[in-house]
Amino acid sequence: MIQEVAATSGQILMGPKFWIATAIFLLAYGLIIWDRIHKTILAIFGAALLIVIGIVTQEEAFSSMDIGVDWNVIFLLVSMMVIINIMKPTGVFEYIAIKSAKVAKGEPFMIMAIFSTVTAVVSAFLDNVTTVLLIAPVTLLICQALELDVVPFLITEAIASNIGGTATLIGDPPNIMIASKAQLDFMSFVYHLTPVIIVVLIAYIISIKFIFGKKMVVKEELRQRVMDMDEREAIKDPVLLRKSLAVLAVTMTGFVVHGMLHLQPATIALFGAGLLLLVSGIKDPHHVLAEAEWSSLFFFIGLFIIIGAVVKVGLIKWMSIKVLELTHGNLFGTSMIVLWFSAFASAFIDNIPYVATMNPLIIDMAKQLWPNLSGVELLHHPDLMPMWWSLALGACLGGNGTAIGASANVIVVGMAEKMGKPISFRKFMLYGMPLMIESVIICMIYVWLRYYILKV
Amino acid sequence: MKVQDLMVPIRDFLKPDSTLREAVNLLKTAARGEQRVGVMGLPVFDNSGKLVGMLSMTDILRAVYPSYMSMMNLGDFAWDGMLESLAAQARDKKVGEFMSRDVVTVNENEPLMECVDLILKKRVTRMPVLDKEGKVVGMVYLRDIFFAITKAMLGEDNGGVK
Repeated sequence: MIQEVAATSGQILMGPKFWIATAIFLLAYGLIIWDRIHKTILAIFGAALLIVIGIVTQEEAFSSMDIGVDWNVIFLLVSMMVIINIMKPTGVFEYIAIKSAKVAKGEPFMIMAIFSTVTAVVSAFLDNVTTVLLIAPVTLLICQALELDVVPFLITEAIASNIGGTATLIGDPPNIMIASKAQLDFMSFVYHLTPVIIVVLIAYIISIKFIFGKKMVVKEELRQRVMDMDEREAIKDPVLLRKSLAVLAVTMTGFVVHGMLHLQPATIALFGAGLLLLVSGIKDPHHVLAEAEWSSLFFFIGLFIIIGAVVKVGLIKWMSIKVLELTHGNLFGTSMIVLWFSAFASAFIDNIPYVATMNPLIIDMAKQLWPNLSGVELLHHPDLMPMWWSLALGACLGGNGTAIGASANVIVVGMAEKMGKPISFRKFMLYGMPLMIESVIICMIYVWLRYYILKV
Repeated sequence: MKVQDLMVPIRDFLKPDSTLREAVNLLKTAARGEQRVGVMGLPVFDNSGKLVGMLSMTDILRAVYPSYMSMMNLGDFAWDGMLESLAAQARDKKVGEFMSRDVVTVNENEPLMECVDLILKKRVTRMPVLDKEGKVVGMVYLRDIFFAITKAMLGEDNGGVK
């Protein structure tokens, strides 16, 4: 269908529609990077404009599988947000964090290592921003109790959340988007990304031991403050907590088997949210629904329509041809470029619009390479798979490079500022960039070894 | 009765660059009008005499309350001495940082019901009173409105109390 509109046999019709859509796309992305008008407003207006002037029809924008809004992503995100909003008041997150600090016996580096690990693990299942918003306030409390500088803790947690989020399909929006477009299931991510992320996380913990480990010492009486905290007091609603954990277990099991059941991840998440709403005994769902991050969700909606338009007019296809020309069709080279380019691009720009653009680009590239294939045969071509994993690893981990690279970083920088401990762009980058490069080097070796040498 | 019949002159006020230490000291000793009744909040005027905010005891509480505690349920994990050490850390901070900038004011010629309306809708307990030119001429307090209501309810018979 796309080919009919845009071009046949590799020719792209660069008519007025092509240029208008390209101009709106570039203008929208430029303004998003410029960051003076809220990105959600830009995405909504850009999308509406493209429909009004007829570049895409409303039907394409709302209902097309290829160039419309990816409802799989929207429903997965909103459902997970609802589940967390119901769970939050139970106190389970405060419990986990206080317990972690006590397991670390109030030792500063142990707290940093355990908090980073907990953040990474929680992040693998929840959105990174949510995870950081749950762990950072407790971190601030613990650091205040121990009279420690909170800045290293906040930075290491933000980075850990971006690392952990990379591990699973539901951990970070880029993975959700890739999974939906490439039709990859939850277990594929576990099989292909989780192992390398475990290695990245171990290397990360060792690295922060060298960077921060030596400097932190705490007096015995301050440590006692932490040891005197009773984490059980955090649990405010044990009944709702038990229900939530049961539903969470059902949902996670659903994610593990969704491929076998031929259900989309969004269906699993929506079922989990619906079930928890039902059993939680909430009388009026208005509050938990209203607390979902509608601004992010509408950013996705607008963005999908804008990307759909430039896919339709052939811009993305043109870009994919250029990429293949550049790499002479060498797929190993292409996957390395995708990995590193994604990492550095995501360090400076939002990885969500970046991945939204790269997804159709990779699909178009595959169409050039294997014109006779279609559907899952095309998307899951053995030579194409490393491209998806490189994109996921680069785009998710790249965000660690700078203070603006990932939403979790922006959140901790904001919190630090509120505490009167501002983290400058340079300071974050001083830690973030080397740690990001370290993680991408590990991924590079992994992709090369696993997909081009061992071929497993 | 109108607002101007009830308002009391302002004797004590703060400046945005006063420290919190100065502010709490003044709050401790400030009196309302002629009566020796303490106040829970003070107006803040800049050097040109312009009203720029109000600083209440709640604002002082907010100045020592760490922002992370409002984000999650962490009240159970506070320790003995936490308040005292945070209060000591906050003492040199400036009034301008913690005062409420959206000041609810009332005009001196308004009827008293307007005060009741503002107190209930805007959840304030004291309001600077402005004259026609917008100059601050006094303060009106919840307690004085209450006394006006008391008077109207009890009339001359003093509520049946002999």
